[in-house]
Amino acid sequence: MLEYRNVHKSFDTEAGSLVVIKDFTASIREGEFVVLLGPSGCGKSTLLRITAGLEPPSRGEVLIDGRAPDLHGRHRLGFVFQEPALMPWRDLVSNVTLGLEIRRIAKAERNRQAVEILRLLGLQGFEKYYPHQVSGGMKHRVAIARAYIVDPIILLMDEPFVALDAQTRESLQRDLQDLWQRRKKTVIFVTHNLEEAILLGTRIVVLGKRPATVQMDYEVRLAMPRDPVSREFVDLRHELRGMLA
Amino acid sequence: MAKMREVEPVVEIGEMTAAVSRERVQKLSRDRRRVIGFNSLSLLLFLLLWEGSSRLLHSVFFPGPLVVSRTFVVLLVEGDIQGYTLPYHAYVSLYRVLLGFGAACLTAIPLGIILGLWRPVYFGTRVVSEPLRFIPPLAWIPMAILFFSGLGRYVFLIWVGVFFPLFILTMNGVSTASPTFVDVARVLGASRSFIALRIIIPNALPQIVGAMRAVMSPAWMCIVAAEMVAAELVGLGQLINNYATLLRMDIVIVGMISIGILGLLLNEALMAVERALFRYRQEVKV
Ligand SMILES: Nc1ncnc2c1ncn2[C@@H]1O[C@H](COP(=O)(O)OP(=O)(O)O)[C@@H](O)[C@H]1O
Ligand SMILES: [Mg+2]
Repeated sequence: MLEYRNVHKSFDTEAGSLVVIKDFTASIREGEFVVLLGPSGCGKSTLLRITAGLEPPSRGEVLIDGRAPDLHGRHRLGFVFQEPALMPWRDLVSNVTLGLEIRRIAKAERNRQAVEILRLLGLQGFEKYYPHQVSGGMKHRVAIARAYIVDPIILLMDEPFVALDAQTRESLQRDLQDLWQRRKKTVIFVTHNLEEAILLGTRIVVLGKRPATVQMDYEVRLAMPRDPVSREFVDLRHELRGMLA
Repeated sequence: MAKMREVEPVVEIGEMTAAVSRERVQKLSRDRRRVIGFNSLSLLLFLLLWEGSSRLLHSVFFPGPLVVSRTFVVLLVEGDIQGYTLPYHAYVSLYRVLLGFGAACLTAIPLGIILGLWRPVYFGTRVVSEPLRFIPPLAWIPMAILFFSGLGRYVFLIWVGVFFPLFILTMNGVSTASPTFVDVARVLGASRSFIALRIIIPNALPQIVGAMRAVMSPAWMCIVAAEMVAAELVGLGQLINNYATLLRMDIVIVGMISIGILGLLLNEALMAVERALFRYRQEVKV
């Protein structure tokens, strides 16, 4: 349902042309939780932006259900950026309901859905708070809720948890997994952290140094929810680390 | 700026937030008392220095605060030679300033927003707007005298002095909107008009109100200059000018101080508006 066909991307700068993605081909099925794993600067964010239609590919094509990404409503996408990017003049509910507001859904219905998803993410009681009144972890939860609430056919997440401390990150990973199991979605999750990749992904696509090409495409068969100190988890991590070295 | 600590699970954060904000309120009132204390002290020091140097100089052209405050009371109660009281002078000037300032806001802010959203127009008209921007408002006085009279002249001169800085500051505020906010909205399918009205303008509002506050001082500069060349009898600029020719420096100083105080009050009022509107901006502090 999501296809990348020989996607190339280069940026023209004063210093010359910088090839960021080279011949990226992959096909992603509905309901997969794909983790894109690669060193920083290899072109992961660029690939997500191309997937969302925020940036055109230089060559090749991206097809969502057979059609190119279209920002104007044909495809419902969710994008969680690295920083939560909550609008400081909106309270948490109206941050979450931004996408519904854009789709002109009635206010009562918007709020009903927001309250529900905020509850699923452990934020009940904070609906009327403003972003500056809540913690970093809570802001990230709101950013996830804002993407999830439009019921996207694909959810794109660009290293959403890197800025968080280990404890908050773990709790968000757990909640994301929980949410995903309740409401299955196609997710493309970018990270440079192998442990996070194994914890969340049903499939791990490893990218090499820039320009990004697929180094390895691995199906993760561990049962969910995954326990990072379990035997299988640790074994798999060793195995993958060996293969990546 | 108290930073909130990370505490998980989430439920506990509610209590945390309450505790932190109570602490913050206490700290704020402590800070406020300190600020008031320091300001009273510096005012006192200033007055003492002024009085002292005036006594040392012993010149009729440099009256100290005691003489000036006596003159202040006389002007307040009895008025000047023509019988116009100080509050009346102040009211007339303030009225002119607010009209000119309002006219500038009504023109410069919408234009700044439009050109901020549509930069090519600005870059395509710079050859006209930039030279205009650098003409000092005082250089417009001859034109103003020829083409306007009465209140219109004052409004025009204030408008000329305030329009360009307000326009440029508004435009910059609009065109520096966070690109991530725009991307967030684009991915969710927002139209250009939604992005302009619901993302870019609200994002720039704090900067726009800040710009309104910043242009208050050029507005006062313009009104005083305009009143000094006018033939009318009222207005703080006129008060200063008339009594300067009579070498009544005590009255001149009363006029100067009145302008300073009015400026301070307007600034405080706009800051109160900022604080009320933009509670979410933690930076907006005294
Ligand atoms: N708009 C752009 N113009 C020029 N170079 C860019 C642009 N966006 C990204 N790049 C470059 O592309 C490379 C990959 O960036 P990015 O996709 O953000 O990497 P990652 O997300 O994997 O860390 C980097 O070297 C970056 O400097
Ligand atoms: Mg990145």
